[in-house]
Amino acid sequence: MVYPLIRKVDIVSSNSYLVQTPDAIVLIDPGGLPDQAAHLASIIRGIRGEKARPVIMMLTHAHVDHFLAACSDPLLADPGITLFAIQESGARSLESSDRQVTQAEMLGKEVTPMRIDLRLLEAARERAGAPVRRTFANGATVMVVQDPLESGLPHERIVVGDGPPLDIFHTPGHSPDSICIRIGGLLFIGDLLVAANPGLAGIAGWNRDALIRSITGIQELLSRGGITAVCPGHGRVLTPDDTARMLGAVQGEARLLTGVAELNRDRARETAAFAEDCMEQVNELFTVMAGRLYYVSHVMDELGETEIAAGLPEMIRGEVIDDLLDSFASFTREVHSGRHMPIALALKGGQVIGKLQRTFDQEGLAQIIDPTLVLRAERLLGDYTITFRGFSLPRDIAEHDLNALLRASLTDHTVRSSSDDDVLASADDHAAFGRLLLARIGTSPLLGDVEVTFGADSKTLTVPVDRERFLDLLTYLLEDLVGTGAKAITIHTGKDGDTTVVTISGAGCTGRPGGGIPRRFLSGLCERAGGTLDSCEAAGSRQFTIRFGTVL
Amino acid sequence: MEITTVTRGNGTVLSLAGRIDTVAAPMLEQAINRVMESGSRKILLDFSGVSYISSGGLRVLLASAKKLKNTGDRFGLCCLSADVLKVLKLAGFTSIFSIYPSEGEALAGW
Repeated sequence: MVYPLIRKVDIVSSNSYLVQTPDAIVLIDPGGLPDQAAHLASIIRGIRGEKARPVIMMLTHAHVDHFLAACSDPLLADPGITLFAIQESGARSLESSDRQVTQAEMLGKEVTPMRIDLRLLEAARERAGAPVRRTFANGATVMVVQDPLESGLPHERIVVGDGPPLDIFHTPGHSPDSICIRIGGLLFIGDLLVAANPGLAGIAGWNRDALIRSITGIQELLSRGGITAVCPGHGRVLTPDDTARMLGAVQGEARLLTGVAELNRDRARETAAFAEDCMEQVNELFTVMAGRLYYVSHVMDELGETEIAAGLPEMIRGEVIDDLLDSFASFTREVHSGRHMPIALALKGGQVIGKLQRTFDQEGLAQIIDPTLVLRAERLLGDYTITFRGFSLPRDIAEHDLNALLRASLTDHTVRSSSDDDVLASADDHAAFGRLLLARIGTSPLLGDVEVTFGADSKTLTVPVDRERFLDLLTYLLEDLVGTGAKAITIHTGKDGDTTVVTISGAGCTGRPGGGIPRRFLSGLCERAGGTLDSCEAAGSRQFTIRFGTVL
Repeated sequence: MEITTVTRGNGTVLSLAGRIDTVAAPMLEQAINRVMESGSRKILLDFSGVSYISSGGLRVLLASAKKLKNTGDRFGLCCLSADVLKVLKLAGFTSIFSIYPSEGEALAGW
């Protein structure tokens, strides 16, 4: 008889499974929460009340979300009742309270040295194939038989009394000590299915090649038949077919993870900070995009085009976006108050951005509102996804003439995307006219109402720069000035010794000072473009200075 | 979000404090509707205490501007933070309703 305790998926605690056999009660992964342990212990007490049997507690691996609860309940900690079994490298981690490998460091948990009764899959055990009988303080007599390999995986069989054998398979990758456990038709696979996920790939003890091999072994085991249900460490119980399919995808994902950075506490903190910065900017971009669309819809409505007006807001799911951004903002406040660790914010950022990418019709939107808004939103979401997955953001630094880049950008932001001639030419074609009209209302040039002055000390100014990121940065800065009401913008380029300096100043800004400039995000973007950014503001004016040094 | 409603001269001023997010946007819409139902057709939103506006908030502003477009009606915003002004400006909203630096400057013309 099996008692599954399936939790909502999170990083705090795993699923737990209780399996009754005639001579033992097997508990797989007690989880990470005291309440969960207390609940399991009360069920175990009830089962033992019917027939007293030893408890065998096995961990699929020694991560705090799978075992920490075991420390908090007296029944689970009592060697007279519970035999604690884990793969031998996991045993070493628990005995030495290894904060890195157990992920206690990452999740901000305290661990104390733990007593291990039975080390599974010990490398130095007696000759393979020879059964070893062992008796424990809780009265369990256990027969252990170690095979060299099964389905290509190190394997060990454990038999307690007349009960069904427990087959243990060593499946490292997610952690060095990960195991899968088969009891009859059930296969318990721990975190194998999430091992290539962003936020987990690269954690201490993670090994890509071992993961790929482990998945091959488990797929072979599944293909032999006889398994009726697969019980993961997080999420619902699965059929073998679904599991095989999902494992194939995980393996494919893992193969792509060459060069993934180690996910430690520092990187989690950096990624969380990047999530916050990106989301601040995403928030503004999406609000502006939705606002633009509402504006176009409003104007079309005024023009009597009620049908077109009604359909426009559907291109961006404003309410869904607002809900997602609100949930991220409130979660950020909880992280700042110390309720969650930075890794949780990094994961939340990943979830929210994944959902945001599905909330807007990118291609359709780019035909109506300023395409650079849509492109920047896409790029921002993509940049976070790359960082979250543990990769460095690509930089395409090459020699470019800054003056030429600036002039081209200023022209793009001053001239309408469609000329008056285009509009006149489309007058006889209702559909074409409608498209042009929408785009004309939706894409008012950023610098259309602003007096712009560009001055350069020299005709050309060639520096190593990431062109796309520099142009994005420039657009963000110009938007900041125009958005805060600048009536005149002055751009100047020149040299200060070996340093190339670009200043962008706005005069006549009317917004109340303070806020308005997401400095950390823009500084990061400027660094990725190849430069450094400073900003200052005074009553009615704001100035940005970008410097490109000789050393990148 | 907190909304304080005060009658000043010919108009009604709604002073807003907090974030205009998914929860606050419908509250704001109801507050504006209540003022209109009471017969006031000159409404000024004082944004001094607003640090953030969501797309839902923008939609409420647009819906209100649409309801207040008869001759003699007024709908305006004042005291916007740099963040909020930027969003309104980039979304194109500044051509739909009037934005004033202060409450006094807004009401002086009403």
